[in-house]
Amino acid sequence: MARTTEGTVRKVPTYCYQCTNGPDLLEVEVVDGVATKVTPNFHACGVHPADGKICVKPYGLVQKIYNPHRLSKPLKRTNPRKGRDEDPGWVEITWDEALDTIAQKLNRIRDEGLVDGNGDPKFAFTTGGAGTPMMFMGAFPAFFAAWGPLDMSLGAGGTVKCKHTEHLYGELWHRGFTVCPDTPLVEYVVSFGLNIDTSGGVTSVRRGADARVRGMKRIQIEPHLSVTGAQAKEWIPLRPKTDPAFLFAMIHVLVHEHAIDELDVPFLKHRTASPYLIGPHGFYLRDPDSRKPLVWDLRASRAVPYDTPDIDPALTGSYAVEAVEVGADEELWRHEGVAGVPAHAHLMAHVATHTPEWAAPICDVPAETIRRIANEFLSHARVGETIEVAGRTLPFRPVAVTLGKSISNGWGSYECVWARTVLMVLVGGLEVPGGLLGTTVLLSQGGMDHDRMGTVTPGPDGFLDYPFHPTDRENWVAKPTVRHAYSTLIPGTGDGPYAQAVGSSSLTWLRFQGRAAPSWPVPNPPEVWFVYRCNPLLSFSETTRLGETIARFPFMVAFAYTHDETNHFADILLPDRTDLEGTQLVRLGGTRYEEQFWEARGWALRQPVVEPQGDTREFTWIAAELARRTGLQSEFNAMINAGVCGLPLKTEQYDFSLPLDAQHSVEEIWDAVCRAASVDVTDGEASDGLDWFKEHGFRVKPFSRLNWYLYPRMVELDRRFELPYQERVLRIGQQLANRLHENDIDWWDLQLHDYEAFPQWKDLNALWSDVYRRNFDVDIGEFPFWLLTARSMQYAWGGNVGLQLIREVADNVAGHSGIMINAGKARSMGIDEGDTIEVTSPVGQTRGRALLRQGVRPDVIVMIGQFGHWKTPFAKDIPMPSLNDLVPMTTDLIDGTGSSIDAVRVRIRMVERAK
Amino acid sequence: MIRFARTLQRHWDWRAAGNFVFGGTGGMLLALAPFAGSDTAAMLATLAALALVGTGLLCVWLEIGRPWRALNVFRHPQRSWMTREAFVATVAFVLALSGLVLRSPALSWIAAAFGVAFVYCQGRILMASRGVPSWRPKEVVPLVLSTGLSEGSAVLVAALVLQADGVPTWLAWLLAAAVLARAFAWARYRAALVRDDAPAAAIALMQRMHPWLLAGGTAVPLVSVVGALFAPADVAPPAAFFGAICALLAGWWFKFVLVTRASQLQGYAFGKLRSGHPLARSRTAKQGRPGAAGFPEVLPGDNR
Amino acid sequence: MTRYAMVADLRRCVGCQTCTAACKLTNSTPPGVQWRKVLDVEMGEYPNAERVFVPVGCQHCSDPPCLDVCPSTATRKRDDGIVTIDYDICIGCAYCAVACPYQARYKVEKPAFAYGKSTPQEDAGFDEARIGVAQKCNFCVDRIDDGKAKGLTPGVDPDASPACVNSCIANALSFGDIEDPDSNVSQLLAENQWFQMHEELGTDPGFYYLWDKEKL
Repeated sequence: MARTTEGTVRKVPTYCYQCTNGPDLLEVEVVDGVATKVTPNFHACGVHPADGKICVKPYGLVQKIYNPHRLSKPLKRTNPRKGRDEDPGWVEITWDEALDTIAQKLNRIRDEGLVDGNGDPKFAFTTGGAGTPMMFMGAFPAFFAAWGPLDMSLGAGGTVKCKHTEHLYGELWHRGFTVCPDTPLVEYVVSFGLNIDTSGGVTSVRRGADARVRGMKRIQIEPHLSVTGAQAKEWIPLRPKTDPAFLFAMIHVLVHEHAIDELDVPFLKHRTASPYLIGPHGFYLRDPDSRKPLVWDLRASRAVPYDTPDIDPALTGSYAVEAVEVGADEELWRHEGVAGVPAHAHLMAHVATHTPEWAAPICDVPAETIRRIANEFLSHARVGETIEVAGRTLPFRPVAVTLGKSISNGWGSYECVWARTVLMVLVGGLEVPGGLLGTTVLLSQGGMDHDRMGTVTPGPDGFLDYPFHPTDRENWVAKPTVRHAYSTLIPGTGDGPYAQAVGSSSLTWLRFQGRAAPSWPVPNPPEVWFVYRCNPLLSFSETTRLGETIARFPFMVAFAYTHDETNHFADILLPDRTDLEGTQLVRLGGTRYEEQFWEARGWALRQPVVEPQGDTREFTWIAAELARRTGLQSEFNAMINAGVCGLPLKTEQYDFSLPLDAQHSVEEIWDAVCRAASVDVTDGEASDGLDWFKEHGFRVKPFSRLNWYLYPRMVELDRRFELPYQERVLRIGQQLANRLHENDIDWWDLQLHDYEAFPQWKDLNALWSDVYRRNFDVDIGEFPFWLLTARSMQYAWGGNVGLQLIREVADNVAGHSGIMINAGKARSMGIDEGDTIEVTSPVGQTRGRALLRQGVRPDVIVMIGQFGHWKTPFAKDIPMPSLNDLVPMTTDLIDGTGSSIDAVRVRIRMVERAK
Repeated sequence: MIRFARTLQRHWDWRAAGNFVFGGTGGMLLALAPFAGSDTAAMLATLAALALVGTGLLCVWLEIGRPWRALNVFRHPQRSWMTREAFVATVAFVLALSGLVLRSPALSWIAAAFGVAFVYCQGRILMASRGVPSWRPKEVVPLVLSTGLSEGSAVLVAALVLQADGVPTWLAWLLAAAVLARAFAWARYRAALVRDDAPAAAIALMQRMHPWLLAGGTAVPLVSVVGALFAPADVAPPAAFFGAICALLAGWWFKFVLVTRASQLQGYAFGKLRSGHPLARSRTAKQGRPGAAGFPEVLPGDNR
Repeated sequence: MTRYAMVADLRRCVGCQTCTAACKLTNSTPPGVQWRKVLDVEMGEYPNAERVFVPVGCQHCSDPPCLDVCPSTATRKRDDGIVTIDYDICIGCAYCAVACPYQARYKVEKPAFAYGKSTPQEDAGFDEARIGVAQKCNFCVDRIDDGKAKGLTPGVDPDASPACVNSCIANALSFGDIEDPDSNVSQLLAENQWFQMHEELGTDPGFYYLWDKEKL
């Protein structure tokens, strides 16, 4: 509560949004107007899954306020030349001058046309943090919404550093933009490199710790022993990029080395497409009249549509049926007496050769270990058991398979997310208590309110609906709408507000550099480019080259906390009000990533805890100012009224809407939103505004635990999970191929390989070898190490790399002072602890101190986080390298969903002995 | 045993080492001063001894964070060997100076005893440092005493040689006995380090010092000083002087290394797993604390 | 009687350093001083490597070596077991620091701030009395005493509990009265296996580690 005691000490409630896992609640103690310390908000005890606690990062927020390096006034560039070695020549200007300059550029766009000759928006915006900072920009999104076409495809790292393929397929299959185990109930987790104890935020850590003490076992399969691996029951150091083999072998064990009755047969038969019959062209065999996919009913001994009641569909066997197959572009095949084989039987055939013995040499893991893990997974799944949740009896399957982000992006990620979900489906553990759950929905419609249930809508063939971009001849988006052409090239991105973020953001930069999409013109730079809370010059790939690219951009505006490597190239810097100095109400609770699972949902306020430092301004004010100066004030207010700031300001129940033709203050806007939120949470009982939230910090109402699980809704709507066979994806892929080839586009052919109904196992190490030969004319044998990265909780997404407190405490965690390398391997190369090693890839080079470790494979080195700063104050003196400048950006490494991995094959040598 | 973070302590540097280096020498020199020979010699030796002890204490004074509160050092005689050292030093000063001023041999002899007590306190200071395994063994006390005696007698020998006074036979034999005692104490101390699982870095350092201490700190002084007894008159003094200096420097070097280089910390470790509430354990009865009321009794064999 | 102790559950701790940061912020310690911190320990040999996180700091021993050696009586032990330092008496000899087998003590010779010059937050917390003297974790004794005066229970009510315990996101740290058989710490110790660090030195720490692995 914001209390005053003798007017000297206040405890101000607010929330943290430094990373993708927020918001989490906290209090700031303010003494005589000075913020002194951060504490949990214990008023959230029992409501927040971690009892109102926050992770280490928010404890640095006080220092973030008073950092002497922070910018406090708008700055203008006076040196027109841009480059790493060019001094921008910053001069201080007033906000008026800054906003006038920006508005002038924006108004020119409004006058001359919002898109350029290529159809790309002239206004672009980039943020980092998996796109989440945009959710915390005050009312700025309302300005963007009022503006019109905005290019958000100039990536800062997303799609290369995120769980990209999990995003798209997770949403398609079970409304899981990200997924997590039902940790409070799970008993056995097979984790392929998911470093959840550093990346999952405070709720993941708390839930995981509680689960461990309860007896939950995690098997951590990853090339280096991460923070999460430390608390695992077992660390299995598999060879990098061989996870698909391990996963396929696990499927093999379940379907070939166990009786089918040990699997969750009812789930397979009635909740998945496992009984759907597959035809000779790879598509479902469909009823000729209704076009519904057919199954073979064992009771009636005939083929019937899948949704026929009271059937016992076959999972194995081969059945002669009369049916049609619908291929790409409505290609139709009619069959009389064709052999229809259930998808499950196809699955068995697909993994028939992928035995643990086959996988063992690929993964460098003994076959017996792979087999044992698969068997333990099955035995812990408790197939057939049930549990009571909120008065309902549901299946209880306390197992999960989780994937890290380096397993869910780039080549091989389709295999992994598919295989992982198939494993869950085989034991009936998808979206049920104890099992694997989706957390949030960002791509499918109606999912922005922290509650996935409303997004469970019927789609074709008994599955869920999904907003694929059209690939039919008439509706395919032939002309790209933004520079990475997401709706043209990647149908699975959907068309929600988040869709651009899951396009291929590397492609944008490759196109700027003339290195991709040769049949399309090189895009024009945006005329105005805003960046916020990102540092692509540090966080993307081939970062040096990226700098050369953005140096050519005509006008860049950065919301800047301090000087940094990216805003070094900007034309105007607007000083950022940090996390503890702005105002915004946001959603809280329900379900969200990575493991925010509440039995409450509602709203939380952040508010300035101290007077603003310097001449920093609120985002909401900046947005309103820009709206006014660009003639978009009414549209801006209308967007706020429509709900862009969280929820609509006018419904049948209430009207707090803002008059359209006036500029409203920060307090006015958020007071209205707070009132609407109060009505929402109290079901009309109260309508308290900003002052109430300033005192109490948050307001919630109950959220049923049943809403954690999709399964009840799926049963209610009689839906099936679209697994294991990806017939829709196959068709879409073929249609996309047709469209691309009709338009002389063959440079996206590699990516088309990912549209397989069952992903084929690929030797990814051989793939990388090919890429090296084709692109760099080198033998990958000259680059014998895998250079990987790993999360640091102290820094991840935090925008806090310049904070001394964070540096100091992070230094207690291994890896924060150099490059982790296997001790035995290092010594065999004459490298000792502290020696400086040089790391080289075909495209870049860096160096750092060797940290000799036992918990690293001998063919792997690890650079934690993203460092290598050369401009950010304080950070530039941290002796930590980054792999980002070494990772090649090439379409050869972009997969079908548009993602690639931030890992690379390198060679190393010692260059300097430790002092 | 798995131990980690056995890093070198950085709280006590050359200044703290100075206290042991100079104070150890000075304390024992004070003990020998009344027997230095002439009154002048005794006086000079006493003053030199006090100067050495004073230098050592000055070094400490330079190191403490609040030098102007130095008098608080006297507040804990019940337990603290540093307090006791300060008391003993004060008394030694008073007695020694009084002895000189009042020309009282009795006072000088009592001062001499306090000189020895001073060095003993120094040994106990090290032994009480439970955070530094290489200081903790009880064997460190005889080592500090014997090296103090070696150094004190060495200084006296060297001073007498420089004064062109003769070195009394008893003093030469005392120095010889002292370095032998030191060698013996050194062997026991090194064995104690191994016995007590001291940090490997400290043991390794001592291992590397060993041949030098044996040679320069024991063999050379023995041969030189004892040999000087039987050597021709022109060779004897330089031989004795050389042997004395070697004995002195060996001691100083050893103490400097012990305090500043071979002073790795205890580090961290895991422990033996136990079950049951700690206050219900039978061992608490051994410690004189009865099992607290309300705690379930732990039976023998309940522990892993 | 009351005897406060801390319990650290090594099965829970993930080494996040939240307690390290919370302690620094609450107690306004200067750069480099960490009254509470968490070690990142690696053991074994590849591929059988293991890793564990261990919170450390002053163990508030029943038989504190620091108390014995302190020449000025600045280091004292309360009846409830909390070992404190009276900064105004301490002469800064650092004898306690070498006597402590847990590396718990620090001595800061001169004021130091995160970015050279002090910030308003650092000014608010700066205590000149702590320059040149020993400092260490004191179980947030002021918070405990203030809380108790308001009728709160240390280890249960956040306002009467150490900042590290309050902040721990894995609920790995617990604090309470081990002479109360019904307290949270008593229950944890009764129901789980535990060890004390450096038991052989006879310090009998008021700091217990819960664990299910024996790594000797």
